[in-house]
Amino acid sequence: MNVPVHIKSIPSNKKHLSDQMYITSLVALVAIGLFLIASLFVPNFFQFQNMLNLVTNNWAVISLGVGVSFLLVSGNFDLSVGGIVALSGVLSVWLAQSIGSPNALASGLGLPYWLALLGAFVGALAIGGLNALFVVKFRIPSIIVTLGTMMVARGIAQVITQGSQRNTNLPEEFGVLGNLKVFGTSMQFPVLFMALLLLLAILIERKMVFGRLTYWIGANPVASKLSGIDNAKHITCLYLFSAGIAGVVGILLSSEYQSGFSNRGLLMEFDALVIALLGGIAIAGGFGSVIGMFFGAIILAVVTSAATGLTLSPDWQYILKALAVFLAIVAQTWALARRNK
Amino acid sequence: MASQQQSPVLSIEGLIKDYPGVRAVDDVSFSIESSTVHCLIGENGAGKSTLIKMLTGALQPTQGVMKINGLTYTPTSTQDARDNGVATLFQELHVVDELSVLENLTLGMEQSRFGFLIKSGLEERVIHTLATIEPTIDPTARVSSLSVAQKQIIEIARAASSGANVIIMDEPTAALSEREVERLFTVIKRLRSQHVTVIYISHKLDEILALGDAVTVLRDGKHIVTKPLSEVSGRPELIDMMIGRTVFESYTPRNTMSGEVVLSAKGLSNALLNNVSFDIRKGEIVGFYGLVGAGKTEIARALFGADEVSGTIVFKGESVGNSPKEAIAAGIALVPEERRTQGLFTQLTIRENIPVMNLQSMSNNGLYRLAQEQSIAHKYVEQLSIATNSIEKHTEKLSGGNQQKVVVAKCLFSEPDLLLLDEPTRGVDVGAKTEIYDIIKNLADKGNSVAVFSSELEEILGICDRVFLLYSGSLVSEFINGPDIDINNILNLVTGGNQGVTQ
Repeated sequence: MNVPVHIKSIPSNKKHLSDQMYITSLVALVAIGLFLIASLFVPNFFQFQNMLNLVTNNWAVISLGVGVSFLLVSGNFDLSVGGIVALSGVLSVWLAQSIGSPNALASGLGLPYWLALLGAFVGALAIGGLNALFVVKFRIPSIIVTLGTMMVARGIAQVITQGSQRNTNLPEEFGVLGNLKVFGTSMQFPVLFMALLLLLAILIERKMVFGRLTYWIGANPVASKLSGIDNAKHITCLYLFSAGIAGVVGILLSSEYQSGFSNRGLLMEFDALVIALLGGIAIAGGFGSVIGMFFGAIILAVVTSAATGLTLSPDWQYILKALAVFLAIVAQTWALARRNK
Repeated sequence: MASQQQSPVLSIEGLIKDYPGVRAVDDVSFSIESSTVHCLIGENGAGKSTLIKMLTGALQPTQGVMKINGLTYTPTSTQDARDNGVATLFQELHVVDELSVLENLTLGMEQSRFGFLIKSGLEERVIHTLATIEPTIDPTARVSSLSVAQKQIIEIARAASSGANVIIMDEPTAALSEREVERLFTVIKRLRSQHVTVIYISHKLDEILALGDAVTVLRDGKHIVTKPLSEVSGRPELIDMMIGRTVFESYTPRNTMSGEVVLSAKGLSNALLNNVSFDIRKGEIVGFYGLVGAGKTEIARALFGADEVSGTIVFKGESVGNSPKEAIAAGIALVPEERRTQGLFTQLTIRENIPVMNLQSMSNNGLYRLAQEQSIAHKYVEQLSIATNSIEKHTEKLSGGNQQKVVVAKCLFSEPDLLLLDEPTRGVDVGAKTEIYDIIKNLADKGNSVAVFSSELEEILGICDRVFLLYSGSLVSEFINGPDIDINNILNLVTGGNQGVTQ
């Protein structure tokens, strides 16, 4: 097939954004628009520090959103991330607590700190491996599998903490990681972690073969298999990736609070799903981007914090989230349908 | 009902169905007498299924009239057709495994008041109907415990007890064993004696000769003949009417074939294949021809590692692994049967579709070569003349022919030594068809091997150098294409005719 390539007059289509870019820009515009509207009504909303807070306060959910987004694009759910946050946090505490206290909740395994972190991380990966095993090998729908492992992970955390929390007998260095200020600024290490993770994710998604594979599998798993893609291996990687992120988030949170708490990360899996959907990721797979998910998180953050600023009772939070989700999804469907008419 | 020669139960007058660019059914008129088994035959693409879809309300005719018992009949859905007394037995069965025979028979016909089921004479009626059709089936048995053939009879009984006086059966024997076929025939004959008319569609000509009262032949969307089977002399006459010509002219022998065997398959067997062995040589186009269900797709998928199969496949001296990934790495590519569900990523653009089968060449230490993706897309759009205004067009918006070209482009980009094409021109317009044939010939002229799996004889005889004939999972014959092949003999063999005869 060495026919000379002469690219002539096929229009290069520069004036048209791809659907992907179109939806992502739309989400970004909505996020910025909502921020400006909120600034009109809420006193002191339009401040640089506030903008920064919208991002930094949500570092955990945004980080989880990265793994969840990749899986959604591949056509799979991951509802286990909230449970993994609890599990890895509790594990890191329990493994690091020194031995020998008469109080059961104050006595751990006394491992060196680094080994405790490694153990916690491996525990998180094990849940991811379990997800992959059931989804890939036994072909059980991912929403059911990860709903199950969500409870398994949190259940183990619950048993280790006896339904309470572990926060004593910890080594000196335990609280460092979660509270570390980076480069002498006020930015905390977890926020840096989120930023680096986002950059890595965007690189993978936009520039790497691995990212492309995710879209192909999500767009048509049958065709991708017949095109020589190893769907099983790729989805396994994605579940491990997502569980690994959740593991790190759990470790950082338990370090920040210097405690292992079995209810930590409760409902975070749903927030991660919500921001991914708000960010324009198709629930059926094959479409969406991490940048969109990031702006989805901003939308959610603006809505909830503006509501608080308007002295609306926090009880209204869920209703507001629900409204935002419905509006965003209807708007996206409408915009895409109109565009592709 | 005094006379046997009453007015026809169903008559069709000047029926036309147009698709964009194709007239699938072209001015068809015939009528069907009451209480007969009326057979409908024709090659693939002759318009049988389109006609049936119009009769069952799944499609609306572009022009023409259908009448039942003299009254104009314009069904809008299968339910509507059923209300008019026309029931259909599809190839896929619509029974509920978890319910009993009786519950299946009354499904959808239950009488209710305020949402609660009430007793009616319904049950006695359906039990009676079932008993007259097939007394050996226990109405209280669970349907999951029945055989495929028995399930089919349940469906027939349901149709009969719902008051249908015309039952359409589309290839009802495709999944049945010989003994079950005989039982089905007995059932059909009983139905006929109870004044039910059966429209029977089958490729198996022996069944038609054994069972039918009258036959209607369609060819290229046109009505060729309707006549009583008592006036048909036998298989050869049916085949003649179906093909209407004895030679396809377009094949010109190519001289790139060499003796070198590229792929050799021995004793391929699985649930649908029965000890299939063959060779494919360098630079040749081989064809696999057979009816739907004869095993073409199964062979293609087995060679590509997509399905499990026993036996050995040796490609370029080495055995191929058992996954598409390994097959592609070894130099085999497959254009699958269903392009929309198996070949294309319809929500992605042309540009994003083409590189997927050759990711080694797209990867630069894991980084994706985006610029190369553009130039490759431009190259194939140009080379295969894919009609589009942009490589950024979503493939779902392309016509069937252009979609198929994108799938072919995907395969060509993997630079296969052996390209397998399963029904390469199904649903493709005539222009694109010729272009796809040219692509295939070009590929073989360059010394690659091509295998075409098709149920269109014209296609097989138009481009293939060597042809294998398949019938029900077995290779029944092999011949070199040329001017003096006997088409009647080919059709005889693939429809299960006497298998001793080869050339």
